[in-house]
Amino acid sequence: MKVPVMTRLCWWMVDGLSRLLDDDEREVVRGDLAECRTGAGRGLREVVGLVVRRQAVLWCEWRPWFILASVVIPIGLLLSYATRSWGGTSGTYISIYWRFWDFSYLAVPGWRRDVIDLAVRIGSECLALVGWSWTCGFVLGRVSRRTVWPTVLMFAVVVFFGTMGTVVAGEPRGNPSLQYHVVFVVLPRFFRTFLVVLPAAWGAYRGRQASSLPLGPTVLAVVVLAGATFLVSQGLERSLVFGGLVPPDPGPDGFLVSADDPRPLWFLSFVMMWPGAYVLVTAARQRLRERTAVAR
Amino acid sequence: MQLGEFEYLMLTSVARLGEGAYGVTIREEIEDATGRPCSLGALYTTIERLESKGLVKTSMGDPTPQRGGRPKRMVRITPKGAQAASEFYNAVMRVSRGVAWSASK
Repeated sequence: MKVPVMTRLCWWMVDGLSRLLDDDEREVVRGDLAECRTGAGRGLREVVGLVVRRQAVLWCEWRPWFILASVVIPIGLLLSYATRSWGGTSGTYISIYWRFWDFSYLAVPGWRRDVIDLAVRIGSECLALVGWSWTCGFVLGRVSRRTVWPTVLMFAVVVFFGTMGTVVAGEPRGNPSLQYHVVFVVLPRFFRTFLVVLPAAWGAYRGRQASSLPLGPTVLAVVVLAGATFLVSQGLERSLVFGGLVPPDPGPDGFLVSADDPRPLWFLSFVMMWPGAYVLVTAARQRLRERTAVAR
Repeated sequence: MQLGEFEYLMLTSVARLGEGAYGVTIREEIEDATGRPCSLGALYTTIERLESKGLVKTSMGDPTPQRGGRPKRMVRITPKGAQAASEFYNAVMRVSRGVAWSASK
């Protein structure tokens, strides 16, 4: 017998939502629904009701609020601005090279340096976005395990809609060309999906697990992330300055984006790195605990 | 120990069902008694609250085929729970003494 699509969809949602419950409770509730031969619609209402009540209790603790105030909103917003800015800038350069590419660029030292600089910059930006997002997800999963998926969802919402209502200074507006759409709309969304939200979900999944992180690779990864953060720190600050949050200041020389521009947002790199520091401390503490246990 | 109405209903149902008290049977018992639907959310959050107060104890039962191979959460009342329910019942009886409720005015 063919099951209607809506029924299958409801059961699929029941299955997904019930994952927000503890393992034992999930099994018991699914067993109760099976024993009572509950319909899909009522089953969904029942599970939603239980999940909402359980989450309401969990949100009476400080942990999810701490996560919201220290990771989801501030870092989610910064990532939202950074992905929009970097998606647009990278897309502009890539589209120019794509249209006018010539291998002679690699033969001329000045042009070659430009290509290498661009590759390093885009690579660093991608690495930093993935690293920041993974470590953010890890903090969400580790600090507040039972509210992890609602907070990851909120993080995704902040990343996708954080720049809503603001524009990038100098960005061409109202240009309907396909190239404009790809560079300023599709690429930022691509960055947000594949370089931010998916790594954050992966980090949250890993952070939720009790198993320890290997100390050596963790130290190496955090050092690499710190290096990438250093390389892209000015770009991160500019994504906010030219994204409309802080007015740009050209500094004494009167030119924007030159070496003497003041950097009032210099501290943002530290904000982005605190989840990385947390990951490092967690790995070190676990290693210490394991050693102490072996010594006993 | 202060009890709410729903907590009292649950304790009484668990006491009445004895060894057979678990989610589905408790829910049926409450629905039969009150004539109102009882949601799984209300049921399990109340069981957890009663357990944290030490009024009931729960354990995982064996899986059964009619439950799709999933276990039951068995519930039994503790002496403390029986005393709290008894106090609640006595209070209701005392406060109701001399009051004649009529279905319609």
